[in-house]
Amino acid sequence: MSLITIKNLWKRYGDNVVLENLSLEIKAGEFCTLVGPSGCGKSTFLKMLLGEESPSKGVFLFEGKPFPSEPSVERGIVFQRYSLFSHLSVLENVMLGIELGKSPFLGKLFGAAKKAAREEAVAMLEAVGLGSVLHHYPSELSGGMQQRLSIAQSLVKKPKLLLLDEPFGALDPGIRADMHALILDLWKKNNLTVVMVTHDLHEGFYLGTRLLVFDKVRNDPQAPNAFGAKITYDIPLLREKKEEKNDE
Amino acid sequence: MKRLINQKPNRGNALLLGLLPFIILVIVYVFASHARLQENAEDKLLPSIAQMAQTMDKSALSPSKRSGEIIFWNDTLASLQRLGLGIGISATLGLMIGVPLGLIPLVRAGFSPFIAAFSMVPPIAILPILFIVFGMGEVAKVALIVIGVTPIIVRDLQHRVEEFPKEQLIKAQTLGASSWTLAVRIIIPQMMPRLLDAVRLTLGTAWIFLISSEAIAATEGLGYRIFLVRRYLAMDMILPYVLWITVLAFLADFILKKFTCKLFPWYAKKDSL
Amino acid sequence: MTSLFTSVLKLCVATVVATTMMSGSLMAQTKEKFQVAWTIYVGWMPWDYAQQSGIIDKWAKKYGIQIEMVQVNDYVESINQYTAGKFDGCVMTNMDALTIPAAGGVDSTAVIIGDFSNGNDGIILKNKKSLAEIKGQNVNLVELSVSHYLLARGLESVGLKEKDIKVVNTSDADIVAAFASPEVTSLVTWNPQLSEIKAMKGASLVFDSSKIPGEIIDMLVLNTQTIQENPKLAKALTGAWYEMMGLMKTKDAKAIAAMAKASGTDVAGFNSQLKTTNMFYDAKDALSFTQSDALPKTMQKVSEFSYEHGILGDGAKDATFVGMAFPSGKTYGSTQNVKLRFTDEYMKLAAEGKL
Repeated sequence: MSLITIKNLWKRYGDNVVLENLSLEIKAGEFCTLVGPSGCGKSTFLKMLLGEESPSKGVFLFEGKPFPSEPSVERGIVFQRYSLFSHLSVLENVMLGIELGKSPFLGKLFGAAKKAAREEAVAMLEAVGLGSVLHHYPSELSGGMQQRLSIAQSLVKKPKLLLLDEPFGALDPGIRADMHALILDLWKKNNLTVVMVTHDLHEGFYLGTRLLVFDKVRNDPQAPNAFGAKITYDIPLLREKKEEKNDE
Repeated sequence: MKRLINQKPNRGNALLLGLLPFIILVIVYVFASHARLQENAEDKLLPSIAQMAQTMDKSALSPSKRSGEIIFWNDTLASLQRLGLGIGISATLGLMIGVPLGLIPLVRAGFSPFIAAFSMVPPIAILPILFIVFGMGEVAKVALIVIGVTPIIVRDLQHRVEEFPKEQLIKAQTLGASSWTLAVRIIIPQMMPRLLDAVRLTLGTAWIFLISSEAIAATEGLGYRIFLVRRYLAMDMILPYVLWITVLAFLADFILKKFTCKLFPWYAKKDSL
Repeated sequence: MTSLFTSVLKLCVATVVATTMMSGSLMAQTKEKFQVAWTIYVGWMPWDYAQQSGIIDKWAKKYGIQIEMVQVNDYVESINQYTAGKFDGCVMTNMDALTIPAAGGVDSTAVIIGDFSNGNDGIILKNKKSLAEIKGQNVNLVELSVSHYLLARGLESVGLKEKDIKVVNTSDADIVAAFASPEVTSLVTWNPQLSEIKAMKGASLVFDSSKIPGEIIDMLVLNTQTIQENPKLAKALTGAWYEMMGLMKTKDAKAIAAMAKASGTDVAGFNSQLKTTNMFYDAKDALSFTQSDALPKTMQKVSEFSYEHGILGDGAKDATFVGMAFPSGKTYGSTQNVKLRFTDEYMKLAAEGKL
């Protein structure tokens, strides 16, 4: 069964049609990259996957059930910026996810449970290469390290779907290449399903197993908002390493 | 010669320039006071610095004849106690009201207009009601500070919570936070230094309310003393008291600032995130 | 940078010196324009009407000067401003004249004795009927004012001392509201607040100024140096005052109505306040009051009270520190330091019709 099922999905704000008649299936283990010009609705689509926005009309299923209409633990998110908790250290930022899951009232663990959470968080941070800065505050990290932390925060919750919203857009090219290697490595090792929005076409081709291009097909110059975007291309990228994984 | 906007003072000159207005003020005062005292040796409006020191030593810093208490410290203690209580209660209320108001749309819709309207009511104008509700004693004085300061803190904090990065709120939800744990683990800890900032900004207002409340009915306190001795134009007592209030206000601000840095080391660096 | 600093400093000092010297030299000139401060009180409302109706202007013109009566909203502030030299004269009570301008070294002369309080100041207890029951209570009043003096005199009359009660300084503007608070059980105040509070539930008047007649005196005080240099000012004001008193004696309806309105009450309210005020409508009555032996005795009591409460200033070694002069050469206290003078000179001219 597909992880995500979308049929005849529309999204509009008043008269402004953003997405029109989208139909799409995403299977577990896919790495979908979303590209398209700005304002083409790819961010709105990501927000709908996240639960920040709801569709206006159409079928929109997650594991065969309607999408939860607010953010939840099944779906992790990495934004371009601003999603780290500035008052917590690197370690605490990652422990937080575990603590919130296990302690619904205080959101804090003590004693043995805390120790276990700590060990899990340290392991996750070592996996993303932040083992040496456990007690730094996020503001003391470089841009690339901040994004590594944001990924670690999400992965510790083992989300069924990991959403990436232009996560490397603000990084230097060299660092971006390191991040690409990291995310592919994590994707492979953790059996992740990823949907990533990027404005970098090269990045979309390089990382994805499937590239989705969003664009407006029809355009009325008199009423620029009358028509929404569609998926104009859906390109499977069957590279060897990815095929192997998909066959698993 | 460089443009004026590009000329920067070195450390020593910066200190001198900073002191200059104070020095000028003191010089102006000394000259004006001297001129008045030459005309009338008993002039009370601008007493000399020596007179002030003498009066303070004699009437404020020596044990009083009646009770043996040193009225200067008594007044300071009484005022600081009222101010501390008033600010403390205001800050607690500010946090308890401001955070839900900023975070929960239902609460905001229900109470935001009321709080906005309530914060416009000048408390001094409804004193008779406050007297009947809170009496004339310590409670009334603290209440006046609380009523004057809380709405300011509430509204400031509400705006801070509303400005809170949406990304963090969503991220926390994807990590399993409920509204409650989101508030106690994410919002409130990050609001604490901002609350202290708000407290610093409202200190001036709090002093004004404190001094007004002490002017209305009191038996001790810095404001009480100033309004009492004003009855016979004892500027030789009023001016040192005013100076002392300024010093206390400055110290309170300084201590809060240091406290914020010490307690929330991440806060000073937050802008880079 | 440092040389800039010192030159700025020098400039500042020079400016200050120059301005203070200039203001000093201005003071000695004879003047033609005068400002006298007044505040709202039943015994002082005639000053307002005299100004409004042109009586002041008429008398000022007669003496070739200009007089402006300036209303100040805060009584103590008006005296402070007079003491600081902003006004040439001010209306005030005998006690405040002693403790603010005179103790502040500003030689002042009481030119007109307008009235004395004859029930305008009083002590009120809540749910108690006699003054002796005040013992042990908190008493709300304006500390160091005539209310405080009245309380001291009242306590004396029932054999109590000030340490038998506890004084809570309370602003006169808030004292009516304060009485509604359950914590307030006794207070001392003046009119119009006194009559408001008297009418409230549980309030009983246990002592008032009619029991110490002639001790709380309302008067016009002018700067002694100013009237020595410009006696015209005192003459014009005295002339205007007794013309005004003539109107009040005949119950001039227009004048009474205007004064009532200006003091924020109606004619009935104003008349009831007049009832507890012993106005000297005739210059002759004011004159005999000023010349009587009772006045120095009263002022001695006031001076002793003021000294005990530390309001004669730090230089005062005893109650006689600030000297006072009375008509026909009588004095009280230090003759080296006479700062408050009661004169009959101008009221005598008025009584004889020589103004």
